[in-house]
Amino acid sequence: MADIDFDGVTKVYGDGPPAVDRLSLHIDDGEFMVLVGPSGCGKTTALRMLAGLEEISSGTLRIGGAVVNNTLPKDRDVAMVFQNYALYPHMSVAQNMGFALKIRGESKREIARKVEDAARILRLTEYLERRPKALSGGQRQRVAMGRAIVRSPQAFLMDEPLSNLDAKLRVEMRSEIARIQRLLSVATVYVTHDQVEAMTMGDRVAVLRDGQLQQVATPQDIYDRPANEFVAGFMGSPPMNLVPCQLRPGRSRVEVVVADQSIELPLGYADTHSLPEAGADVVLGVRPEDVLIADATGANVLKVRVERVEALGSEALVHLAWGEGGASSSRDARSRSFIAKVGPRVTFAPGDVVSVQVSPEHIHFFDAGTGISLRAGGR
Amino acid sequence: MSVVTINGTTPIHRRGRRLSLRRRRQVAGFLFALPAIALVVGFIGVPIGQAVYYSFTEWNGLTSTWIGASAWTQAFHNSNLWTALQNNALLLLAVPFALGLPLLIAMLLHQRVVGWRIFRSIYFLPTAISWVVLGLVAERFFAYHGTLNSLIHAVGLTHVSTNMLGYESTALSALGITFVFTMIGTNTMLFLTGLATLDPSLEEAARIDGAGRWRIFRSITLPHLSRFIQLAFVMTVIALFSALFSLIFVMTGGGPGYATTTMEFLIYQTGFDQGAFGTAALYGLILFVLTAIVGVVQLRLIGSEE
Ligand SMILES: Nc1ncnc2c1ncn2[C@@H]1O[C@H](COP(=O)(O)OP(=O)(O)OP(=O)(O)O)[C@@H](O)[C@H]1O
Ligand SMILES: [Mg+2]
Repeated sequence: MADIDFDGVTKVYGDGPPAVDRLSLHIDDGEFMVLVGPSGCGKTTALRMLAGLEEISSGTLRIGGAVVNNTLPKDRDVAMVFQNYALYPHMSVAQNMGFALKIRGESKREIARKVEDAARILRLTEYLERRPKALSGGQRQRVAMGRAIVRSPQAFLMDEPLSNLDAKLRVEMRSEIARIQRLLSVATVYVTHDQVEAMTMGDRVAVLRDGQLQQVATPQDIYDRPANEFVAGFMGSPPMNLVPCQLRPGRSRVEVVVADQSIELPLGYADTHSLPEAGADVVLGVRPEDVLIADATGANVLKVRVERVEALGSEALVHLAWGEGGASSSRDARSRSFIAKVGPRVTFAPGDVVSVQVSPEHIHFFDAGTGISLRAGGR
Repeated sequence: MSVVTINGTTPIHRRGRRLSLRRRRQVAGFLFALPAIALVVGFIGVPIGQAVYYSFTEWNGLTSTWIGASAWTQAFHNSNLWTALQNNALLLLAVPFALGLPLLIAMLLHQRVVGWRIFRSIYFLPTAISWVVLGLVAERFFAYHGTLNSLIHAVGLTHVSTNMLGYESTALSALGITFVFTMIGTNTMLFLTGLATLDPSLEEAARIDGAGRWRIFRSITLPHLSRFIQLAFVMTVIALFSALFSLIFVMTGGGPGYATTTMEFLIYQTGFDQGAFGTAALYGLILFVLTAIVGVVQLRLIGSEE
């Protein structure tokens, strides 16, 4: 078992832009690290470099302290679960799982014992003699897992292993994989673009965008204290509302001007946030569940119009907007609207004008230019 | 849905005259296949039947006389038949090369060695050329004043000269070598197609599992290619038994002596040189049975894997 260290690792294909750009990331021994990001951000590339399937353009990659930049995959002692599972079609489940051990030259009895142990953990015992073709998607996924765990490798690498499963199975396997990883306590790099997987499975989450690392933190930290506008907008479903506004720090409080309305924040805000000077453009961020629709006409409320209500059964999403605009879908209109997540069975209808309230501790500010969080201390 | 009738039995489905789905599929399948069946029977079945009949006759092309089973016993006493069968058996030794070389070439091309596109065209070129032309080229290659000797002399071995087609001991080898080269293009293409259908992530998975090149070839690539190899094997053996004629005709004419006379060539000689069409039909049946055995055995092998 070992830790993994990306140190300024870069991958450039041909003369294109870097697919992975100076990635520095440390994964502790036994840690479950989730790599998330939108499609094409370099997650698979990072994983393949770690597996040794892709040459590293520059930077240093270490496994267990040893530099592995030029080490062949077979000498890295890492196990990988592919998105399409890549099971050997002409081998039985048992042979698939025992292949690496056979190559290593372990005895038949030893292989059989390890395969049976892994099969028991994965509940595959009754399928050991079948060919992959005769298995369901979920069973194939478990065989792919089995092939990885029988080896007791230095690290597990998984590339969207659940993306081919149906929603129910995905939920099941999510906790299954997390359980097995905790059981074996092997450093794991798990690639996904599903943020629920990112939130629920990882010890820590690394968010990538265009090959660049945006933030590494525990899932809750990423959610509560996103380092920038991109992370804020990527994590959460629906994502954080991001509204352009102006700040007017006053003597006793900070005034936030949104469109033609304004709310006021306690002055304490200036202590925890490095707010720019008066009149600066910033982006205000607030999670949908932190938007309260209040009847109150008191201070610090915004008057908004209900555009649309989506009932999701356990909750409802209320799309709100202000100003003229109407229900157009232009970008301008999007920045003039936001979503509130409220309890189910709401009584308002499109066209109603309601008041919303946001408690100051739930408000985030981002620099309008760079997108970086204005929370003091950066992250 | 469950329906309970008054006396407690389940109602009988009124199937009437309607056939089961399976049965109807079979009928439809038969109807669709009927034109093809008619053609096969008309153009293959009937001639085979005729050949069986003529094999019991003495037939010079115009008049046939029934001579019965003695036609067969006589034929089996003819040493030329045994020579031809032996030549066919010896030529089978070329099959491993006609499969192995293309496999090697396909593996190299698949690794994208430098210039693989050009090589691919070069190897495939013979496939597009008539075997008669290939035979003529090969004849020039092996001839006493031909390319092979020029090459040997060019590397300094001026005292060595070969004339492979001129001797009974070597003519068949020369024919076998030519055959291997004519088959390289088709078989290489077949194997390249097979390799193209191999999921590259399987190889990557094997590499991560610790497999080296040789192990990947044996445990991943070869099993994947097995069907393609079987197909190439059948096609090669059948070509060897039934398509060598043009090469023999232009290269050796079956000689020297009967050294390169195969069953196929013997049929031609017996029928058209000696005018013994009855015996030729008999030989044709023997060749047909031999080829059919190869085909059936092979189909069994393929089928047994399901
Ligand atoms: N073999 C390659 N040659 C050239 N460019 C490549 C190659 N593989 C990936 N790329 C590029 O590198 C970038 C990152 O790709 P990568 O596959 O790592 O994305 P990803 O984050 O895994 O995306 P997804 O979520 O869609 O799987 C993409 O812009 C892609 O086009
Ligand atoms: Mg990917």
